[in-house]
Amino acid sequence: MRHALFLGCFIPVRLPHIEAVARRVLPELGVELVDPEGFSCCPEPVGFLTDRITALAMAARNISIAEEAGLDIITLCNGCTYTLRQANQTLKGDPALRERVNGILAETGHTFKGTVEVRHFAQVLHGQVGMEKIRSAVRKPLTGLRVACHPGCHILSPPDVMGFDDPLDPVVLDEMIAALGAEPVDWDRKTLCCGWTLTNYGDKESANRLLGAKLEAMRAAKADCSAVICPQCFYQFDTGQMLAARELKFDYKVPTLYYLQLLALAMGHSVEEANTRGHRVKDPALEEKLGRLTA
Amino acid sequence: MALAIRAQYLEEGRRRAAEICLKCGVCCTVAHSCHVMYDHQFNPRYTFVYDCLASEKGAANPNIWLCVSCHKCEETCPYEVSPIHFIEHLKGEGLTRNIAHPTIRAEVTQVVATGYAFPLTSATDRQRQGLNLAPLSPRAVADIVKIAEKTGLATRLKEAQP
Repeated sequence: MRHALFLGCFIPVRLPHIEAVARRVLPELGVELVDPEGFSCCPEPVGFLTDRITALAMAARNISIAEEAGLDIITLCNGCTYTLRQANQTLKGDPALRERVNGILAETGHTFKGTVEVRHFAQVLHGQVGMEKIRSAVRKPLTGLRVACHPGCHILSPPDVMGFDDPLDPVVLDEMIAALGAEPVDWDRKTLCCGWTLTNYGDKESANRLLGAKLEAMRAAKADCSAVICPQCFYQFDTGQMLAARELKFDYKVPTLYYLQLLALAMGHSVEEANTRGHRVKDPALEEKLGRLTA
Repeated sequence: MALAIRAQYLEEGRRRAAEICLKCGVCCTVAHSCHVMYDHQFNPRYTFVYDCLASEKGAANPNIWLCVSCHKCEETCPYEVSPIHFIEHLKGEGLTRNIAHPTIRAEVTQVVATGYAFPLTSATDRQRQGLNLAPLSPRAVADIVKIAEKTGLATRLKEAQP
């Protein structure tokens, strides 16, 4: 199961510990990761600006690099998945637009052909590796760990493009958490945005209020931690929580872990190998629980 | 009551979608919708219908930057109007007219200059080295510049410099 690893920007630049965990655990489940030369930003910020044709051309260029290697793309980020899948589906279904985009790409030497698929690592794990194989790879079940799953917006919507889960009642990440022996909790405000976009391009006070409401709901559900599959969500729940706590005077902490980190722990890797030590929001109770479960 | 659509900059497909908006407000009634949770000033119906469609100055309204692009309005709209796409269109207009949020302009400029949306710093180098990961350097810049010049993004960014 060979895939071209599309890292994007956020993870290699700001959260390289997640990249390291991905490179460690995915091959152990039979997902071989290949690094083709030439990927750039997906480019979500350009697409976000609705410079549609530039965004399509840059995304098509990235997809064409995987096509030249004869590999489907695996991503670690909701935003990259959203941008690349949108472009892939749009260009596969619209020959005139494909021709226009390939005209823009002509001087780069790349051509979009529409021969590969783009999948988030959660889609690869859930749909291709399969829950049975993940369950059988668990060496240290995370029994009793209560996890609030936050899949994030852009892995869910629009569902006909993303093909992952119901945007208004998502359950796939919960299934993936349960496969590790942990307990996914039912919590309010699960489908609300993490607030990353609001923090960066909108209003920080509103973002803090949003984050506070989500964290309070996780705490009400007695979650030990949250689980995410998107670097922006991770950053918001980790660094964002630390910053918001100063403003809103939280008297509690809800640490967050990337799904791949929980997977690594359940597969028998140590806390050090799961790279959780560098997180900003730490809770001694969670650390004690994880230490006990992985001992 | 039919809405007078004054946003002449809308492309034809978007314009047709806009014309079927009945102002029903379902995008605002979904539980935990953005005007309740994200910011009390923001409401997709007001920002989308009144500012995006009924005004020529929608891109100047700071509330468009309170849209988090969560797509909940798209999921709940019974007529597939997709308010988010109009709001994102306004954000693009904002860049062209040099009134976009400075962070997004900086990010796009960064993408064209380095192939990454975020600056490559010595802190990143240290972290990656500690994790035995390959160092990062600007990537695919020549190709991105060719694309940006061909689509006009390079000109837009140049003209949008503060």
